[in-house]
Amino acid sequence: MSELPVRKVGIIACSGEELAEGTVTRQAALKVLNALRPHNTVTICLPLFLAGGEGDRAFARVNPTITVDGCELRCAARATEMYSGKPAASVVVSELVAEHGLGKPEGLRRLNEAGQRAAQAAAERVAALVDEVLEEKERPAAGDEAAPGHDQGEDKAAEAVCSCGSGIPVKKLVIEGQTVEVLALPLILKRFFDAGRQPDEALAHELMEIVKVYNQVPSGAEGSYREAVLQEYAAFCKRKKRE
Amino acid sequence: MRSKEQRVVIVPCSGIGKAFGSVSREAAYELCESLRPDTTRIVALSKLVLGDSAAREAVSRNPAVTIDGCKRMCASKMVKQSGGTALYEATVIDGFRRHKELKPEGVAELNEDGKKLARLLAEEIAETLDRAGPSRTGKGENRVRTPRA
Repeated sequence: MSELPVRKVGIIACSGEELAEGTVTRQAALKVLNALRPHNTVTICLPLFLAGGEGDRAFARVNPTITVDGCELRCAARATEMYSGKPAASVVVSELVAEHGLGKPEGLRRLNEAGQRAAQAAAERVAALVDEVLEEKERPAAGDEAAPGHDQGEDKAAEAVCSCGSGIPVKKLVIEGQTVEVLALPLILKRFFDAGRQPDEALAHELMEIVKVYNQVPSGAEGSYREAVLQEYAAFCKRKKRE
Repeated sequence: MRSKEQRVVIVPCSGIGKAFGSVSREAAYELCESLRPDTTRIVALSKLVLGDSAAREAVSRNPAVTIDGCKRMCASKMVKQSGGTALYEATVIDGFRRHKELKPEGVAELNEDGKKLARLLAEEIAETLDRAGPSRTGKGENRVRTPRA
């Protein structure tokens, strides 16, 4: 069975290489990704919204995002909104530092104590926001050790999940005369094909239920989407059988 | 010492999920803080993504050096999209191929191999800038590609 992308909270750090606050954003993001909420979060490099492909730009449409910026320019928050989707929440390190009187972060390569305090404070703020976002969206199943609100402790280090090079595949369909990019459709079709499902009307409802998880289907256009997706699935099955 | 506006612009990648991204940044810091502090300056990639006018002007008016962590070449692409021309395009992966004995590990804290690789990359870039000389503008005809393994 092919793997469909799982909804996680995307953490996008500005990473501003010119400022110590930029280093704080990276350290804070890594604390969340590696230690505080490793099973509920994923990241992507901000430049991929422009330098990457459609799958990269779709990141904020699939994952609710929290941006972490170093300064009031708010590059991560503004660029994410411009190129991918509006962030669910954002944190600005310079504001957090002022709010908590943490002192001036210094050191691009190695943060001073104030910088380390700022990274910890920013990470805790982001982790709390991750929990809020997930509570609004959907709660993981009971018993999941990664459930929101369960601090997993910094000693349980995990690998940061980086989305570089793993953009979500898209398929362009013509629907009502318009070319529409349907996110994750190749994976969805493969999943049904692997399950041996036939491209009939009975399947169309199930296909659309999953398509709607990853895509905004305009009200009033669902019938056209259903027809186009089912046609694409029939063509997909034919191609697969010829291979 | 050149004014900040006249220095070679160094643009490292922003990768935070892989060790090679950290090597690219470490190399940039080594170059700008230790090896050539008076003639180079870092411009944050995120500012180019946002289209910040000062950052765009810096890369379009000065020679630029990009240091990318992976094959997606975000820094190189963003400098081009911002109207700049890279005098030198360094990639950590090519540096790694030339120094396979060094295995960079760690993202938040690079291991010693990662720091050594960053230092070597920074030295290669510094030598390239020295060869290019202060009068070279980095506009197309002076462009130097990173040596391949």
